Amino acid sequence: MADPQLKDKVEELIREHKVLLFMKGTPEEPRCGFSMRTVGVLDQMGVDYAALDVLPALQPLREVTTEISDWQTFPQLYVDGKLVGGCDIVEEMAASGELADLLGVEQPAQAPVPQQPQPADPQQSPPIQIDS
Amino acid sequence: MAISLDEVRLLIEAALPGADVEVVDETGTQDHLRATVAAPQFEGLSRIDQHRLVKNAVKARFDDGSIHALSIKTEPK
Repeated sequence: MADPQLKDKVEELIREHKVLLFMKGTPEEPRCGFSMRTVGVLDQMGVDYAALDVLPALQPLREVTTEISDWQTFPQLYVDGKLVGGCDIVEEMAASGELADLLGVEQPAQAPVPQQPQPADPQQSPPIQIDS
Repeated sequence: MAISLDEVRLLIEAALPGADVEVVDETGTQDHLRATVAAPQFEGLSRIDQHRLVKNAVKARFDDGSIHALSIKTEPK
């Protein structure tokens, strides 16, 4: 049973941010390979996005996302309030052009490949902290 | 606790009768797995719903830690 306050907070974040990534670690210091690859894709797309590090509250957040989206693993990318998917789906959609369409940007010239995260874009929102 | 690739394949096949399932070990430690699944049940489903079906098939092994990470590739059959 998910913590109701945490669930409310998460739902609020999903509503507030057009592009929201739940990940392990931060865009500057990802703590898992899948999160790192997802950050790499978003950076290549050149969109602003908000990122939440799930590690400080991993199990409670799994419970919340299970109730909200029937999805328990991270990373999770939300766009316009809906779960797009994890690393696999994000990479497939990036390669096919669907992700660029969804984000409203031009398809990058090269098909995205896994790469080291770029230095933080100054316009990007700072990583979100949740006080649990 | 490692998990056998066969067990993962059988779990997915049981949940998705008629599917072609391949499971490989990505790192040699039997806990980072890649499942490639082509199933008739995927027809008309979004990628995320296709992935949900696969993940639900192996959920117990995720929950008990046997599977640390699972990459999934799906397509309708």
